[in-house]
Amino acid sequence: MIGLVDANNFYVSCERVFNPALEGKPVGVMSNNDGCVIARSAEMKALEIPMGTPSFQLEGLRRRGEIHLLSSNYELYGDMSARLAQLLRDACPDVAPYSIDEMFIYLDGFSDAQCQALGEVVRRRVRRYLGLPVCVGLAPTHTLAKLANHVAKQQPHYQGVCLLTANSPTTMALLKQLSVNDVWGVGRRLAERLAVSGIRTAWQLRECDPKQLRKRFSVVLARTALELRGTSCLEMNALEAPRQRIMTSRSFGQATGVKAELHAALRRHAQRSAEKLRQQKSLTRAVLLFLNTNRHRKDQPQLSPSAMIPLASPSDDTRIILEAVREGLEQMYRPGFQFMKAGVMLLDLVDAQQYQLSLLQPSHKAHPHLMNTVDAINQRMGQGTIRFGMTEAEAPWQLRCAHRSNRYTTCWDELMEAGTHPGAIAAARVKREQQRLARAQRLAQPRA
Amino acid sequence: MPSQPVALKTATLTTSTFPTTMVATALPLTSQPLPFPTLYGRAGFSGFPSPAQDYEPRTLDLNERLIKHPNHTFYLTAAGDSMEGWGIFEGDLLVVDRSIPPRLGHILVAMFEEEVLIKRYALYQGTPHLCSAHPHYPPLPLEETNCQLWGVVRAVVHEYLP
Repeated sequence: MIGLVDANNFYVSCERVFNPALEGKPVGVMSNNDGCVIARSAEMKALEIPMGTPSFQLEGLRRRGEIHLLSSNYELYGDMSARLAQLLRDACPDVAPYSIDEMFIYLDGFSDAQCQALGEVVRRRVRRYLGLPVCVGLAPTHTLAKLANHVAKQQPHYQGVCLLTANSPTTMALLKQLSVNDVWGVGRRLAERLAVSGIRTAWQLRECDPKQLRKRFSVVLARTALELRGTSCLEMNALEAPRQRIMTSRSFGQATGVKAELHAALRRHAQRSAEKLRQQKSLTRAVLLFLNTNRHRKDQPQLSPSAMIPLASPSDDTRIILEAVREGLEQMYRPGFQFMKAGVMLLDLVDAQQYQLSLLQPSHKAHPHLMNTVDAINQRMGQGTIRFGMTEAEAPWQLRCAHRSNRYTTCWDELMEAGTHPGAIAAARVKREQQRLARAQRLAQPRA
Repeated sequence: MPSQPVALKTATLTTSTFPTTMVATALPLTSQPLPFPTLYGRAGFSGFPSPAQDYEPRTLDLNERLIKHPNHTFYLTAAGDSMEGWGIFEGDLLVVDRSIPPRLGHILVAMFEEEVLIKRYALYQGTPHLCSAHPHYPPLPLEETNCQLWGVVRAVVHEYLP
């Protein structure tokens, strides 16, 4: 049996653990830079505010206190996700995180009843120990587990845990109702092509001859059909394969055309990309940089330059990537434009363990101790503790996150507060503010 | 002990040269690996081996003592004065374990009508209440109120120096 543990409205649920006052209220979490809504609580969904609604359209509702909008707090979500994975590892033989809020658990050798019981235990524990609501889908294959999870979420009578066996009447009924579009791994385009061949429901896909599917569509679709029948043939490794490219890009809090500021932003993205590169133990052969102006500002001149800098030999050394960034910016920078977004992409990745050495070029493998030390320090002390080159904290390209909640689990100065009696937290806040003012006044007075 | 100075000398030497090389000059890409200081000063080539060698200590770790379930432990800050009788002062660090089932006598973090409170879980007039250690704040009855457990306080850290 394979299980999929998926947190309900993960970002909102994380916020609610540390801010219980949000419980039962419509809450939304905004994308990086407070652009649009990327996570909604059930109450927010009930208000029919769609995913991706631009934040400014909701400003009125927020001001009137009808909804709560928060900036995304990725440090908090990342920490809670790691805790979730660890909790599952303690309870199950094998765990594979699939995304920040979805984890597969592998329960080989357990009977169906045992799996059901374990699913219930896991769900209760995550709720109690971490405060997060999750649903568990159990089935013989990844694709069916994903479906079972969907059912567990949609249909309350399952109480958050749904076990589907391959040939049960329930599974058959579900597959007959389910549009092929909703099957894991079938996109909209593919669904349209399938519809032409008369395949509209998941059940019809399941009943197709896999050999035919393989011939007419792809091997992946043939495997999906087999998975729907209960034959496990999607390897988790295939999903986990190292990425072929790594991209870091952000919109700026405020547009800028100053070269030094653009350079600083690109430098930061390059350092983050290099760190990700080393994490997956790859080397990059080329660095692609790009800048974008704000295409919604029709009154301003538009430009989206990019520059591609091939490296002399594959490398994961931040210093070499930064050198390429400097060179690339020289190439693509034009004065007189207000840029809104910058990005760094590392391309043509190769495995650090096995790649062809150049005959004429010396190896540009990073000094392993230096880069490992930098990564280790940044992981322990927080992102950006050691940086190459200075970056200003107040730079206009820094992210806008006006409504971010505290980093309750990763920052000593931002812990959650608990009062010893009703009203104590508010009183303590007032007291701190008074102390701060008194201190400021004392400092402002000239010494006698 | 003749062996100790030898070990110490290498250790200080490496630690003092390590950062300067890293900062001042860019390292040649094919430079030799840096010597790393060894964790324990082992005896050198001459003299007696350290008699404590077989008893190399495992340094005490406060985390291990205060935190039994790191994955389910969260830190909170206390606000207010009504738990001073139980040793919790304003600004103290609370080590809260969410995986401990609450028992009478435990100090809990609980949600009481949309507020996060620290209280002692105890019997008052025969029924479970959330009690404080201050006469101004009467015990809050658990029955017929909307109260939810957040976690059990395992330890309190009170720092005397900033």
